[in-house]
Amino acid sequence: MEQVKITIALIIAIILQWTLRNVAEPFAYVDFPLIIIVYAALQRNAINALILGTISGIAVDALSGGILGANGFSKTLVAYAVSEIARRVYLDNLLLQIPVIAGACLVDDLVFYGLHRLLGQVPSAPVVVTIAYSLIGTTIAGTFIYLILRALSTDKIRRQKRDFFAPRRQTRRRNPIRLGRR
Amino acid sequence: MVERSQKEVWRLTPWLMIVLLLGNFVLMAYDAKTASQERVIRVWALAIANFVQSPVTTVSSAVTDYFKSISTLRSAQTENDELKQQVEELKVQVQRSEELSDENERLRSLLSLRSESKYKILPAQIIARDPSAWFDHAVINLGSLNGVKLNMPIVNNGGLIGRVVAVSPLTAQINLVTKDKSGLGGVIGELATSNAIGVVTGNGKRELLEMGYVPGSIEVQVGEMVYTSGQDGIYPPGLKLGEVVEVRPGSATVPQQIFIRPSARLFAMEEVAVLLYEPPERPEYEKTVPNAVAEEKKKP
Repeated sequence: MEQVKITIALIIAIILQWTLRNVAEPFAYVDFPLIIIVYAALQRNAINALILGTISGIAVDALSGGILGANGFSKTLVAYAVSEIARRVYLDNLLLQIPVIAGACLVDDLVFYGLHRLLGQVPSAPVVVTIAYSLIGTTIAGTFIYLILRALSTDKIRRQKRDFFAPRRQTRRRNPIRLGRR
Repeated sequence: MVERSQKEVWRLTPWLMIVLLLGNFVLMAYDAKTASQERVIRVWALAIANFVQSPVTTVSSAVTDYFKSISTLRSAQTENDELKQQVEELKVQVQRSEELSDENERLRSLLSLRSESKYKILPAQIIARDPSAWFDHAVINLGSLNGVKLNMPIVNNGGLIGRVVAVSPLTAQINLVTKDKSGLGGVIGELATSNAIGVVTGNGKRELLEMGYVPGSIEVQVGEMVYTSGQDGIYPPGLKLGEVVEVRPGSATVPQQIFIRPSARLFAMEEVAVLLYEPPERPEYEKTVPNAVAEEKKKP
């Protein structure tokens, strides 16, 4: 069920990425598919995150002026890195997830830019400004989207919490009255 | 669906990542290799994206127009009075121009000239912009069913905007002249009168184009207009490109470096036009390797 939810969220993210820039230019700086991929990786859904990363990257590249596959490459790499971190560090808290989104966005942008430089195609946007704006836009949008996604999947989070933090074993207290009877 | 244990998943993940990264790399290599041709994946993506982009554009334009109409309603009364007066004045002018037009038509028929525009145009609307913040491609609402073909020039009233790089049945993707790898033949001033012919390229900056190969001995002034020369085999000659804003002088052996500000508003465009221009067929030797001419000359 969770996989279906993430897939639907990713399809919506790709559609938003395709359309929103024409509505308002600042939306260009929000990487919606990346937010969903990081979310999938944080759910320890590594295989899903990797596949979705490649698919969404190619879907964005297909309508972009960049090299086809560059976004797929960077997003796959980010999905793997985040899933590895999520495996080793407990990141289910939203406050911990915010720097992960920011870091993922930074790595994604740097890999994307680096690949284009490597293959001799310089993007027309100024590098530092674009990376800074994407970082801010994606992190803010990501926080709100994660709040929505968490609200939609509260059951799973509760179950995960139960798995991670099993109820503490209570020591059985002796009955003080009985003790007094001795 | 196959249920895998966490251990299996963690063992499988690095291998899957390597396979996917390799797949993406192969795709990048293929894309870089076929940069000048139409890519099938892009065409399919354009066709699929059209189903969401067109309705979103329609709805967003309707909402924008509605709010614009509310804001303009305030000044409507005074504007209405002014327009009424202008209509009266124009009626007189139209009557006069109709007489002149009739006269013109008669004279033309006498000279057996046909009044037709040089190139046909198709008005189009921008329905989507590049989904990535790094590039500035755009998608228009006309495709191969409307007669749009690969490499057709895109213009607006300011001048040249770019060319078509992918065509689906209902939409087409356009590439701006400012893109890093774009290049076209340009001339400073009128084609027949100027010697300042060179190559105009995007230099990775959004606001400026760069013109190279103009000999240092030719004088170029800031403020001069630049037009297409038609020597690139894609764009027709005489399309306005922009204005010279900076000249870094060269010498007799070193060409000048000229910076041009595009006259078309490239980043606030909504309405554009596709120029139904197909360049003349290139000779066979030009289609093969660059040294084909030399090879042909060698033949007895």
